[in-house]
Amino acid sequence: MKNQTEKNTFDAIVVGSGISGGWAAKELTEGGLKTLVLERGRNVEHIVDYTTAFKNPWDFKHRTHLTNEELDERPVQSSHCNAADMHFYVKDSEHPYVQVNPFKWIRGYQVGGRSLTWGRQSYRFSDLDFEANKKDGHGVDWPIRYNDLKEWYDYVEDYVGISGSLESLPHLPDGVFLPPIPMNAIEKYLKESVSKQYSDRLIINGRVANLTERKKGRGQCMYCNLCSRGCPFSGYFSSNSSTLLDAYNSGNLTLRENSVVKEVIYDETKKEAVGVKIIDAITKEEISYYAKIIFLNASAIATAAILLNSVSESFPNGLGNSSQQVGHNLMDHVVNEGTYGTFDGLQDKYYEGRSPGTIFIPRFQNLNNETKNTDFVRGYGIQGKGERENWETKATTGFGASLKAQLQTPGEWKISLGGRGEVLPNYENKISLDYQNRDSWGLPIVKVHFEYGSNELAMMEHMTKTSEEMLVKAGFKNVGSYRNSPPPGSAVHEMGTARMGHDPKTSVLNKHNQMHDVKNVFITDGSCMTSSASQNPSLTYMAITARACKFAIDQFHSNPS
Amino acid sequence: MNRRKALGSILGLTGIGIVSYVGLKYVSGNSASNKGQLPKYLNLIAELVDVIIPPTETPGAKEAKVQDYIVDFMESCASNKEYNNFFNGLNDLQETCLNTYDASFENCTMEQKMVLLEDLDNNSGSNSLFSKINNKLRGRSFFNLLKTLTIEGYCTSELGTTVHLNYAPVPGKYEAITTINTNQKAWATR
Repeated sequence: MKNQTEKNTFDAIVVGSGISGGWAAKELTEGGLKTLVLERGRNVEHIVDYTTAFKNPWDFKHRTHLTNEELDERPVQSSHCNAADMHFYVKDSEHPYVQVNPFKWIRGYQVGGRSLTWGRQSYRFSDLDFEANKKDGHGVDWPIRYNDLKEWYDYVEDYVGISGSLESLPHLPDGVFLPPIPMNAIEKYLKESVSKQYSDRLIINGRVANLTERKKGRGQCMYCNLCSRGCPFSGYFSSNSSTLLDAYNSGNLTLRENSVVKEVIYDETKKEAVGVKIIDAITKEEISYYAKIIFLNASAIATAAILLNSVSESFPNGLGNSSQQVGHNLMDHVVNEGTYGTFDGLQDKYYEGRSPGTIFIPRFQNLNNETKNTDFVRGYGIQGKGERENWETKATTGFGASLKAQLQTPGEWKISLGGRGEVLPNYENKISLDYQNRDSWGLPIVKVHFEYGSNELAMMEHMTKTSEEMLVKAGFKNVGSYRNSPPPGSAVHEMGTARMGHDPKTSVLNKHNQMHDVKNVFITDGSCMTSSASQNPSLTYMAITARACKFAIDQFHSNPS
Repeated sequence: MNRRKALGSILGLTGIGIVSYVGLKYVSGNSASNKGQLPKYLNLIAELVDVIIPPTETPGAKEAKVQDYIVDFMESCASNKEYNNFFNGLNDLQETCLNTYDASFENCTMEQKMVLLEDLDNNSGSNSLFSKINNKLRGRSFFNLLKTLTIEGYCTSELGTTVHLNYAPVPGKYEAITTINTNQKAWATR
């Protein structure tokens, strides 16, 4: 028995191998800690398991459509995946959850998690974001500021490889960038038009984790724009292409796939967590692993579910939940369905290669008194893409030789714009556990309660209106918007369910991402977010993870016991 | 039978729940009872797609095997509603051919085929508000499905992608702004 326990004992355990878990794995192993990474899904070996990456359109029997059978298995995920990348998304039929209100929980249960399929947009938060809760009273104050995170943004950006342009915007700090992905003719045209028409906003190159130059061990982006199939060139950042490889190379990594974490084990006498209990996804065997430090990086909803299911004498409502905040304050980003317009000019211009990036309009509302909006607090950014229509998007008439000619020639220039807005922390937006309904592993299934408030709805209205106005002013035609906004969760930016804060009574984590109640449990996935800002959050998760790991490693080495 | 009148029956005027007058097995609404039967119509579909995208200096849809794609899509991916619209549409078309030209579609002259499809196209009204609402309620019409799937099947086929269009599976670089050359072909993928 003792042998088994020894064999199952590590310095640190990381739960989850997605974008933040991968960073925890890299930092902890490189910091000298023997680290066990637990991943609930299957292994995805870098390159080898990107089975669709080089497939041509005709190699898919139904092209990228899902069959009715595949659709039935994926009623939720199907809006975000297609036949070419669905193997990196769960089957909802195998992983049920309850939507008390409509909420899309998009998941990728595999080594690398959703870092394989992420949108790669990477923007820093600024003090406008870190101070927002304190200033307008929504939620609790962040226990950190931009200065606490700046060097960690530098550190992760340098490693990840973010292409972007230096803009000197105080509310969207510059970073360590590779050359930006250039704008095409229509994007450049819109940028110039917006600069002429507006003094309060501008269009910049989107900041994306695609390599515009080679990096150590990784090739540069080949501009296929098929990133979500996995990149055989390592042209974009994923746990698989980067952090997990370095963790492995450190010699300190043990990775166990098919390991569904049931709970964190709390020791009443030591008053700390001593390990985690897993269920083998295949054999359903229950196994315990032990470590001095535990990092939870299972993603916001799953991490909260693990905490709520970790019940002990000291924590009858879930581990580290004396604040009653675990699972609450769930946020996503509010997105509108999108605005579009076509443009008559620039007919002699085209492009070669497919940009995996976007253009970006940084937040321009509520930055200061001059940009104060009376309908909502906080703000939103707008991502956009310009292209010439091809057969997929072009309206055609007739048939025969004339139809063939229409399909063969490049169509109108078109721009699509989509807003991403901040969601306020709200205690009522939460996850809970449904003990009456269990999954295949006997675990209670997650219930999601989530509704937009008036602030989010006002913002959504505004982003659509301003997007249309910018296109009209730039001389676009057929300007319109899809009026149905996608359900919450669609941005796949769930966060906030174990928030950081100064006060143990109103928050779950301290400024080092330690649980206030259980200091050797660190949480650095989206759960930790005290507010959502409007920026895509992965870069911030990575920076926060690296920072918390440094703290954990220093503690580990200074208290050898 | 008057050709115009005959064509009326293809245009979905038969509507939901009305059973055909000639004993063809009509299926409406959500029933899946015809599923599995489209492979029998492969030749007819092949002739249809080749009228929509005929061989010119580049291959036509039939050579690109678009008929196979349409059958596969219909059998595995289409909703029951749209499957039935398509299935019934094929039967209507075939019956119209027989009534009007005394020949099956496959045996009609190119000119006759063109007339038949032009009538379908003119009456498919794919941009009208009515048609959009109708699409939501009843699924896309026969002709709408036929044309959409022919375009998609062709432009994603090996011949369509690599011969008719411009295909770069791994571009290797991104030239954001290029000047178009004469006879510039559109990119096959985005």
